[in-house]
Amino acid sequence: MSHAQSVVLVGCGAVSQQFYLPTFRALATAGELKVAALVDPSDSARGVLASAFPQAQSVKTLADVRAEEDSLVIVASPPRLHASQTLEALERGWNVLCEKPMASTAAECETMIAAAKKAQRLLAIGLYKRFFPSSALLKELFTQQNLGVLRSFTIAEGGPFRWPAATPSFFQKNQTHGGVLLDIGVHVLDLLIYWLGEPASFSYFDDAMGGLETNSRVRLHYANGARGTVQLSRDWATPNEYRFVFERGLASWKVNDANGLTVQFAGGTSALRSQLLTPVSPDLDAPASEIQPSNPQSFIRQLRNVLAAIRGEEKLLVPGEEGARSLRFIEACYREKQFLEQPWFTAEEAKQARQLVTA
Amino acid sequence: MKVAIIGANGFIGSRLVEQFHLGQLHTVVPIVRRPASLALPARFAVEWRLGDALNLESLSKALEGCDAVVHAAIGDPAQIEQMPAILCAAASAARINRVVYLSSASVHGQNIAAGTTENSPLSTDQAMEYNNAKVRAEKSFFSEASRYKQSGYALRPGVVYGPRSRWITDLANEFRERRAWLFDEGRGICNSIYVDNLIHGIDCCLRAQQGAGEAYLVGDAERVTWHDFYQTAAKELGLDLDVHPVAQLPVFERSFREKVENTVAQPWVQSLLPAVPFKLKRATKTLLASWNPPAAPNAWSLPTQPGPKITQEMALLQQNRWKVPHEKAAKTIGYTPPVTFAEAMRRSFAWHRFATEVRAN
Repeated sequence: MSHAQSVVLVGCGAVSQQFYLPTFRALATAGELKVAALVDPSDSARGVLASAFPQAQSVKTLADVRAEEDSLVIVASPPRLHASQTLEALERGWNVLCEKPMASTAAECETMIAAAKKAQRLLAIGLYKRFFPSSALLKELFTQQNLGVLRSFTIAEGGPFRWPAATPSFFQKNQTHGGVLLDIGVHVLDLLIYWLGEPASFSYFDDAMGGLETNSRVRLHYANGARGTVQLSRDWATPNEYRFVFERGLASWKVNDANGLTVQFAGGTSALRSQLLTPVSPDLDAPASEIQPSNPQSFIRQLRNVLAAIRGEEKLLVPGEEGARSLRFIEACYREKQFLEQPWFTAEEAKQARQLVTA
Repeated sequence: MKVAIIGANGFIGSRLVEQFHLGQLHTVVPIVRRPASLALPARFAVEWRLGDALNLESLSKALEGCDAVVHAAIGDPAQIEQMPAILCAAASAARINRVVYLSSASVHGQNIAAGTTENSPLSTDQAMEYNNAKVRAEKSFFSEASRYKQSGYALRPGVVYGPRSRWITDLANEFRERRAWLFDEGRGICNSIYVDNLIHGIDCCLRAQQGAGEAYLVGDAERVTWHDFYQTAAKELGLDLDVHPVAQLPVFERSFREKVENTVAQPWVQSLLPAVPFKLKRATKTLLASWNPPAAPNAWSLPTQPGPKITQEMALLQQNRWKVPHEKAAKTIGYTPPVTFAEAMRRSFAWHRFATEVRAN
């Protein structure tokens, strides 16, 4: 290992406490990084991480940070701050890993990408589900067509909103311009774009009636004839499952199952529910296969990929250009929004709801 | 009228927000405890607030500027009993006179004695601790509302069903898993009330010129048996009525754990709890949780057919033979349930399809 990469964490809320804190611990112990600074306007939020990394500078704003050039700044603050904090970090000669959603608008994404190019620094986006071994295997199924051509898919993800948000910013239109689609939808649509590319056409429906949507539906059609439905909810427990129907079989993936997949061959009498392993050798005396990385290990892999890319040892798997794709698609969805009919409304309520949407 | 709705993210509260706001009946102020509970109310451009139904200062602040308050928050038995006093004190601090509290027909039990009306005596020695808590809570509500000279109304709905209700989802799951059951061919009366009919009752309380300081039983207009409920549900799900007939119900005896929990829920015990060290409370909870662990599965047993899971609550409900009257509500506050049972079930299962059906387009 050449040296411990200096890392600055901006935003010490729930995602930092639940994901980055244990990741930093693991990589700091391995000598791969050192936490140089922790940034958050809230003393209490910062305190949780500061107690784990007492040597780190603990400050309220990014402007107060003193860190070496070529440090990595991880932007994990509320989404409305992503663009400005990324630009500030790039201007100071730091690399950036920005949490999803990359920014509030696609235009901001373009500005961030241009700034990274100009500063000749890395801009990575935190879409760690691309690092799941199951994501990679699904991509192989789509591109190598081991089960034939994809015919259709259904995706249902979400449930009652339980993220331990410290503030109501998730639900305030002056803080964010989207609801469930801009939240979990970013991951879902990023994976779909990663696997299948952009759809040829789509239609979009949600239940926002003057506020932010809690239920969304996206219908997608692809150039090869495949079609799919995505159902997202912060309201009701969904199956949290992705199901793909191919010409010669079916693949089913449970949300966040980083190293598991269920496959069924057409006409078969059983389905295979598998835990993913490293490739098995034809030789019995070869080293045994190992279990592929889990969900937390995939999160660590994401940060390791960024660190290796900074050292010039690996290609960045999710650069800014990739992160912007799902956000551009989400903006297109909101532009084309149709009201999601709620069939338990009375006729008068439905009429008023539609009026609130158009207003 | 500017109406605060405590528990606006729950099944009743969320429909209350929808109906009052979309029906332009009142200006709603949804109140929830945590930011995470804002998902449903935040679909609308309404003035939601954060407020804790168990914290006087927090709730008083959340109620500021409102003309009336509806309490639709839920909790465990101990919390249920604490909430009314906090509600009335907070309403008083916010200078709100009109307070509507959602009690329950469960104050009379699940298997209600024939002839029961609002005037029937209430017991706090019922088998279900929830019932006892609701009895104590309702008494506390009227006592506190009287103390603050408030116009307090309490509604006693029975089985409240509708969009997002467990009665709809649980039953659909039971049908899907072939676990649905009916006792005595479903002759029992379920005392159903569609959520919109309950909301009509709440609106009656908000507008009433008389009848404060009283509790009101409310229900659907029809006398609905459990067979009616299950038959209609099966039809809405596109299924035949396939249920396990149950002729003999199990005897439910309180476990040691339930007896302890019942004792702990008593107000005098609750008042002493702050003096008990936290570690001792945690150790006791852990011990209780490990009491009577389920037997380990036997690898040599034959696959079992799905069977009914009979809970004490459902066993009592299905034995009930009394349709609670809502004449008092009709006469005093003008309660006339606007939605028929058939239409209510159609809307409920329309929601169920909306929430659960995921198909490729």
